Amino acid sequence: MTMTHPGLPDYWGLIIIGFISFGVLWTIFTPSPAHIRTSVLSLANLPVIGTGIRNMVASRWLLLSLKFVMVGFFLLVIIAGLFGTPIPERNIATVLTWNLWWTGLVFSVFLLGSAWCAVCPWDALSQWLVRRKLWRRAEPNNSLNIKVPRWLANVWPALFMFVGLTWLELGVGITISPYATAALSLLMVVLATASLAIFQRKAFCRYFCPVGRTVGFYSQLAPIELRPINNDTCANCKTLDCYHGNAEVEPCPTWLVMGRLKQNSYCTSCGNCTQSCPQDNITWRFRPPSVEALHSARPHWDESWFMIGLLALTGFHGLTMMPFWEGWMSQLAQVIGDSGRLLSSFTIGLIACIAVIAVIYSALVEATRKITGTDLEFKRLFSTFAFVALPLAFSYHMAHNLNHLMRESVGIGAVFVNPLGIDTVPLSMMEKHERHMTMWMSQDLLFALQAGLMIFGFWIALQVIRHRGLTVIPINNRLAGIKLLPMLAFAFGITGFHLWLLMQPMIMRM
Amino acid sequence: MNNAKLIIIVIFILTAWSQSLFAHHVLGRPAYSLNEDSNTPPSMQVETQIGDYFVTYMVFPAFPKAGERGRVNLYATHIDNGNAYNGEVTFKVRDDVLFGNSNPETLGSQLPDDSVFRQGFEFSNDGDYIITAEFTDGGEPYIIDFPLRIGPPSSVGPIGLAVGVIVIILFGVNLVQRKRLLTSKLRNAHEEMGTDKS
Repeated sequence: MTMTHPGLPDYWGLIIIGFISFGVLWTIFTPSPAHIRTSVLSLANLPVIGTGIRNMVASRWLLLSLKFVMVGFFLLVIIAGLFGTPIPERNIATVLTWNLWWTGLVFSVFLLGSAWCAVCPWDALSQWLVRRKLWRRAEPNNSLNIKVPRWLANVWPALFMFVGLTWLELGVGITISPYATAALSLLMVVLATASLAIFQRKAFCRYFCPVGRTVGFYSQLAPIELRPINNDTCANCKTLDCYHGNAEVEPCPTWLVMGRLKQNSYCTSCGNCTQSCPQDNITWRFRPPSVEALHSARPHWDESWFMIGLLALTGFHGLTMMPFWEGWMSQLAQVIGDSGRLLSSFTIGLIACIAVIAVIYSALVEATRKITGTDLEFKRLFSTFAFVALPLAFSYHMAHNLNHLMRESVGIGAVFVNPLGIDTVPLSMMEKHERHMTMWMSQDLLFALQAGLMIFGFWIALQVIRHRGLTVIPINNRLAGIKLLPMLAFAFGITGFHLWLLMQPMIMRM
Repeated sequence: MNNAKLIIIVIFILTAWSQSLFAHHVLGRPAYSLNEDSNTPPSMQVETQIGDYFVTYMVFPAFPKAGERGRVNLYATHIDNGNAYNGEVTFKVRDDVLFGNSNPETLGSQLPDDSVFRQGFEFSNDGDYIITAEFTDGGEPYIIDFPLRIGPPSSVGPIGLAVGVIVIILFGVNLVQRKRLLTSKLRNAHEEMGTDKS
């Protein structure tokens, strides 16, 4: 029996539609500001706790302890997945991986930026296996140190791996197979280890890891960043220990120079820079969450495709959890003669979803180019406006996952008592109903948070359009926003689509 | 390392992964709901589509073992009108082997019992098997294969594979590094000799 979660009520839908309609009109009639006022708050400068924070970020022991904890859970996932019960809701491998980690990861980005990458067990295990040091710099570093070939030195591999991960997750259904979950976990360790042993620094984290790149791009919207305390100190630095490392500490795994860092995308929060800086000049600081997407982050062709892909795949996730999705797949299967698990039909649906979003976005970018009469080439404009996709994807991703997290995580404490699910039976209908009716927060609060997230995402998308639009329209030109109508239509349409998805009943996953 | 070596490593990793994927695919989706016609949960409950039919099959008990009786339940409904298939279904079994073919053995042919086709089985050995259900409708044959694991799953596979690949990579890297070191020492020695002569 398929059970569904109720969708967002109509009144919330109307409120959101009202807001986004107002937002579009406001953008059209309000001139874009010439400058962005940004203020940051360095945690190291806070009274009382500032010194403690400064010491904490420079300490390796806290990070190492957290890595041990994460690796412990990771190994438990593998053991439980391979040796435990095949019943997914009784095995910690599937519950911890898909119900808690995969669903909650996006919220960790919202609060802590790319902090997950700092304690990633794939990276920790590969580091320990290849370097054969727990934390200290290894010389020689036991790697072939081959430069990543030019054709691989971009985020296309990560995008393809993310599409593949989505295919495995939703098409093959590894989320309900502890065995496959464990096998996938092992594969990621093998890939991270192979990359570290072959290529320079941590090419896997920078170019290949679908999770790391997703976390990285979403981190552009995080309210926290790792940056210099004093920019002049970095400007006068001759040693660049953050980039090269020192005798004790590894260099930056993703080739970043802290003094020139403008965006979070590739920072893995590993702490090497905070530990190696001779001036203790690097720390965490708060900032406006949209500052990178608005103007700091530089547009690149491959990165813009990753962001558009992220947008398409988040929508696709939601679409596959609608009750009518199976009907669509069944009809498609009859047309193309697909049978069995309908993987061919699913693959066509996945590719079509990405293609539709990409084609619509490309067409609207071209329309913007024509309307504004800009000399900028298509690729440049495509990359510039791709940042619009980030807040739209991020906000829907969180709103969708919040539903999973609040409604499907009740009772999962049992798997920590019996991680392998020994002598357990599948959830009875009674238990399913009980879980269905019990939530971690009230349903009204959940709806309000989902609506708030949708409005938050759309508002930031509008700001991105206004500020990135300055590259094609003059500053302070009243009604200049009309020339950005295609991009506004894109943000409006995508938000409308996401809202429609949220208002549908969603199939309960476990 | 040249490109050829890199390609070989990548192909090896991908091949290894594809095998474990097939293994998962063969295992199928385990069920997570108790079926009303049994007091034990099925080990798998798979819904699949073939031609004009939706087919649901289940295997009881949850974890079939060698020497113990179990059964397969199969239920097929027409996509267009939802009518249950009421003909005869033949069940066969064969070993699930990656390479080559194994001879199928007929388990039996069943008529519907309240639209459900129930086929009993008892295996003498643990292992991976493929159950085949065959029926005809409108002159067209319908053949559905699904996997059945008897006994505990072999759990060494992915760990052994992962450890094997990592050991090969680390060993290979170590060899190349030693070669590099040796070459570098020889070059230095040659350079020093050249400097001494001059």
